[in-house]
Amino acid sequence: MILQHIADGILSGAIVALGAIGLSFTMKMLRFANFSHSELLTWGAYSALVFLAFFSSFGGFFDQAIGPFSFGPDLLLAMLCACIATSVIALLLHRFVFERLSRTAGHMTMVFASFGVALTLRHLVVLIWGSDPIYYSRELQFAILLPGNIRVMPDQVFLLGLTVVVVIALHLFMSRSRTGIAMRGVAESPDLARASGVNVDRIITWVWAIGASGAAIGGVLYGMTVQLRPELGFSLILPLFAAAILGGTGSLYGAVLGGLIVGLSENLSVMVIPTTYKPAVPFLLILAILYFRPEGIFGERSR
Amino acid sequence: MLQKYGLAAVAATLIGVGSSAHAVDCPVKLGAILPVSGPMGQVGERIAETGLFAVEQFNEAGGVLGCPVEYVLRDTQGQSAVGVDAAKSLVDLDGVQALIGAVSSGVSLPVLTSVAVPSRVVQVSCCSSSESFTALAEEGKTEGYWFRTYATNRSQSAIGAKLTVDSGFKNTAVIYVNTDFGVGLAKRFEQDIAKLGGSITAMVAYNESQQSYRAEVTKALEGNPDSLYLVAFPVDGATITREWLALGGTDNLIVNNSLRSDDYFQAVGPQFLQNLQGYDSAQPRLPSVDSFNEMFEARFDSPPNGPGLHSVYDAVTVVLLAMEASGDIAGESIRDHIRLVTSPDGIEVHPGPEGIARAKELLAEGQTIRYVGATGALSFDRNGDVQAPKMTWKLDGDENVETGYLSTAEVAELIRMLDE
Repeated sequence: MILQHIADGILSGAIVALGAIGLSFTMKMLRFANFSHSELLTWGAYSALVFLAFFSSFGGFFDQAIGPFSFGPDLLLAMLCACIATSVIALLLHRFVFERLSRTAGHMTMVFASFGVALTLRHLVVLIWGSDPIYYSRELQFAILLPGNIRVMPDQVFLLGLTVVVVIALHLFMSRSRTGIAMRGVAESPDLARASGVNVDRIITWVWAIGASGAAIGGVLYGMTVQLRPELGFSLILPLFAAAILGGTGSLYGAVLGGLIVGLSENLSVMVIPTTYKPAVPFLLILAILYFRPEGIFGERSR
Repeated sequence: MLQKYGLAAVAATLIGVGSSAHAVDCPVKLGAILPVSGPMGQVGERIAETGLFAVEQFNEAGGVLGCPVEYVLRDTQGQSAVGVDAAKSLVDLDGVQALIGAVSSGVSLPVLTSVAVPSRVVQVSCCSSSESFTALAEEGKTEGYWFRTYATNRSQSAIGAKLTVDSGFKNTAVIYVNTDFGVGLAKRFEQDIAKLGGSITAMVAYNESQQSYRAEVTKALEGNPDSLYLVAFPVDGATITREWLALGGTDNLIVNNSLRSDDYFQAVGPQFLQNLQGYDSAQPRLPSVDSFNEMFEARFDSPPNGPGLHSVYDAVTVVLLAMEASGDIAGESIRDHIRLVTSPDGIEVHPGPEGIARAKELLAEGQTIRYVGATGALSFDRNGDVQAPKMTWKLDGDENVETGYLSTAEVAELIRMLDE
C-alpha cells in the first residue's frame, strides 16, 4: 500500500506544483503574497467548461475520446483557451488592482487586497455556475492496475505527463529565451534590470501570463481527475503556499519539488496519523521550513 | 364626545381581558431557529414553511388558550454561532415561550446548553439526531427542556448494520464524515456490526470539502473489504464514491439516509450505483399520517417529500398542545405537559384543525390526550427521544425503491438486542 500512497502523492503533488510555479514567480518578482492566485485555478477550470461546450458542439472528431482517456481534443483545446482567458483575468487584476495599489500602498495592503480579490473571484464562480459540483465528463474512469499493485486512472497518467512537459518547456524558456533570462534578471533586481534596458512592464506581463496559464492547466487537470467546485482553488491555497515557500520563491524547480513534497507528505501522513489530521500537514511543513530554512530549498539566502 | 366613546371602549376591553380566565398575554409566541439560508437552505426553507403551516392550523382551531399564535422565524445559516444569537434574541427580546429547531445537531446543542436550559425554555428539534443529546439528558444537564420528534442515530447505525449483515457482507470498510454526527454514527455501527457477526476492515474519517479523498479511499481499501458503509453528505459523498469505485473498490455500498438524494445519485452516475442500498426514517402506516399528507398536499400542491417535514409539524403541534394544557405557558409547565398530551393511555387525537379543536375540548374537560400526528404516535422517553419506524431502499435504474419496512416496535427490539 505504500506504493499506492506514493503514487497518489505524486499525482496530487503535480497539480500543486503547476499552481505553485505561478505563485512562486509572482511572490518573487512582484514581491507580495498573492492569496488570490489559487482562485486562478478555479477560473481556469471553469472557463475551460465554457470552451469545452463550444468545441464539443462541433461533435465528430472533437468529441471523440482519445485512447484510454476520458476526454477528446475538445478538452485539450478548451484547456488552451482557458490558459488565455485566465491570463487575461490575471492581467486585468494586475492592471486595475495590484499595480495601482503597489504604487502607494504597503505590503500588507497588497496581501489584504489579494484576499478581497480571492473572495470576489470565488463568489463570482458561485454566481455564474452555482455551487454544485460539475464534471467535464459524467463517465467514471476505472483505474488500471500497474506493477506493484498500484492503481491509477489513465487521466492521471496524462496529468503527470503534461506536468512534466510544461515544466521542461518552462525550463527551456527560462534558460534559453531572451525574455526568460530577462525575467530572471527582474527577479534579482528590477532596478538593475531596468537600467540594463529590460522592459520591466513587459516582463511582468509575461510573469502573470505564465503563472495564470500554469494555474489554468492545474485547474483543468484537477477538474478532469476530480471535479469542479467553487472551492477548488481555495482548498489548495495552503498546499500552494507550502510548496512555493518550501521550494524557495522564484525557483521553477523549487516550486515543482515543493509541490511533490507537499503531495507526498499529505498522502504518506495517513499511514501514521488519522486521516482527519491530513489537512494540517501543509501547515506543519510551512512551520518547519520557516524555522529551519526560511529561504526554501532552492532559494538564496537574502543579504 | 368621541373621547368618551374611546374611553368606554378601552374600559370595555379592559373588563373583557380581566374577565377572561387565563393569565396569558396575546399573541402567544413560538420561536423557530432553522437554516433557511446556507448549505442547508433548500431543506431548511421547506421545514420552516411546514412549521408555519402547523401554526396556521392551530390558529384555525382557535389558537392557544384563546390567543393567536405568532410564529417567529430566525435563520441559523446552519452555523452554531448564528443559531445561538438567533435563539438568544428570540428568548430575550421577542419573549418566545418555546423554541423549535435547529436542524443540525451542531447548532441545536449550543442553543440548548447556552439558551434553552439557562432560560428555562422548551426546545423541540425536528431533525437533530446526534446521540450527544441523549448523553446530556442522562447526565441531567438538559433539565428536561430538550425534546425531539426525530429518531436518534442509535436506530440508524442499528438498521445500517442489520442491512449490511443481511446482505451477506462479511468485511466492511467504513468511511464517515468527521463531525459529531458522523463519528457517533460510525462508532455505533462498529459495535453493532460486531454484535451481528460482521466485521470491520477499516474505519476512515474524512474532513468535509477537501479537494480529493484519494488518501482516505486508499486507506479504506486496505484489507480488501467486500462492502463499504458510507456516512456522508451528497457533495463529498459523490467525490468519495467516484474515487472509491475508480480505484477498484466494490460497488456493494450501504449508505446513510443523508445520501438518499438525487444530487448524490446523479453526481456519481446511477449506472454505477446498482448495488447501492440504504435506509431512512419511514412514516408509519397510520390514518393520521395519511391525513397529514393530504392536508399538506392541499396546501402546498406537492407531497411532503423531504427531510424534517413530518417531524417539524409534530414538533410545533406538540408544543402548542402542551401550552394549551399547561394553562400558563411558562417554560416549566410546558415541559411538564409535553408527555401529558402524548400519553400512551390518553384519548387519541389527530392532526388538522378539527383534531386540534377536539384535543382542546378534551383538555378543557380535564382529560389526558394522546396526539398521534404526522410521524405517528410520539412517545418521548425520559431523555426526550422518540423512536420511529425505518425503511430500507435500493437504487433500481434511476428509481429509488423501498425494499423493507421495520415498525417502531421492531426497531426498538433490534436496538434492545444490540444493546444487551
